[in-house]
Amino acid sequence: MDQLDILKQSWQSQTGNAPQFSKEQLGGLLARKSSSIVKWLFIIAIIEFALFIVLGLISHFTNEENNTIEMIGEPFYYGSMIVHYVVIVFFIFLFYKNYKNISTSQPTRSLMNKILKTRRTMKWYIWYNLVYMMVVGMIGAVIIIPNDPRISQMLNSPNFIGHETAFYATFLGLTFVIFLILCVVMYLIYMVIYGILLRKLKRNYNELKRMEV
Amino acid sequence: MSKKLEEEFVKQLEENQNIVHKICRLYTNDQDAHNDLFQEVTIQLWRAYPKFRGDAKFSTWMYRVALNTAITLYRKSTRRVKTQDYDSVQFKIADRPEDDEQMEQLTLLYGAVKQLNDIEKALVFLYLEDKNYREIAETMGISEVNARVKMNRIKTKLTNIINP
Repeated sequence: MDQLDILKQSWQSQTGNAPQFSKEQLGGLLARKSSSIVKWLFIIAIIEFALFIVLGLISHFTNEENNTIEMIGEPFYYGSMIVHYVVIVFFIFLFYKNYKNISTSQPTRSLMNKILKTRRTMKWYIWYNLVYMMVVGMIGAVIIIPNDPRISQMLNSPNFIGHETAFYATFLGLTFVIFLILCVVMYLIYMVIYGILLRKLKRNYNELKRMEV
Repeated sequence: MSKKLEEEFVKQLEENQNIVHKICRLYTNDQDAHNDLFQEVTIQLWRAYPKFRGDAKFSTWMYRVALNTAITLYRKSTRRVKTQDYDSVQFKIADRPEDDEQMEQLTLLYGAVKQLNDIEKALVFLYLEDKNYREIAETMGISEVNARVKMNRIKTKLTNIINP
């Protein structure tokens, strides 16, 4: 006879050590707070959305103070900003849609898939923000250099005359490197947070996927 | 949510709580973790309850939500037991069989089941609950053929754990 069928015979009558809960105790449990990964994914997503929106606002106010808007030109400045916020709203919509689709009543594999999908949305959100900052930052820098009185003053000083190209290259190169470092740091933070949260889920997801091959 | 719905839910949960206990016992190794997982399963069941239409049996629906919570949503990863950890094996049955040797055999087998990974445990659990392969496949989101193949592999694995 099958090993497992021996266990099956006694399976229904097992009692274990745990006491059975009364109706009152069960009712009490309903009021407790969940600590599931879905809840954590939701909290992290809100933080991510807020973080980049706040960053955008801070940079806007700094730009206002430094006359950056004038130097870049209003059409480009406000144009890119509007596009940026439209994209953010789109991401919030995508996230909300994914999040709503997470239901514990569905088959395990599709539940896992949906959770991983919301995580992917947030990954793209972060990448989008970093790339946006980099692209707009670089274009902005190119536009600003000829218009910024402080930079032209510096370029006109005897030390820089004849080295304008080198100056431009260094300036843009440095901006690029700073953004690259930022991207790497963000990516690492991202890997750690989601790595801890989703390690178990991913392991189980891969196990299920392996079965389907 | 209305009081009536809550009463109805608690009543059904009380009647079927043994299912959740069995899952918690399988996926955790001590009483604290057991209660912790039980609590999370209860919260998830309650949250999903308004959408439970009653076109499935309460217990069938419960298998799905409870297993999903244990495998997917529950954050804490519990260490797997080795057969030596008899304390955490906890296989106890109401009517103890006359035969001590048979009881020992059952404990050994249950210990082996606890050494399986999360997915394998879920399959074995549903099998022990007398679910057919179609139901197992539907709950896990895999094909029936693959559920059957996997189950046969698990049986071999269990035999190997018991008789190394």
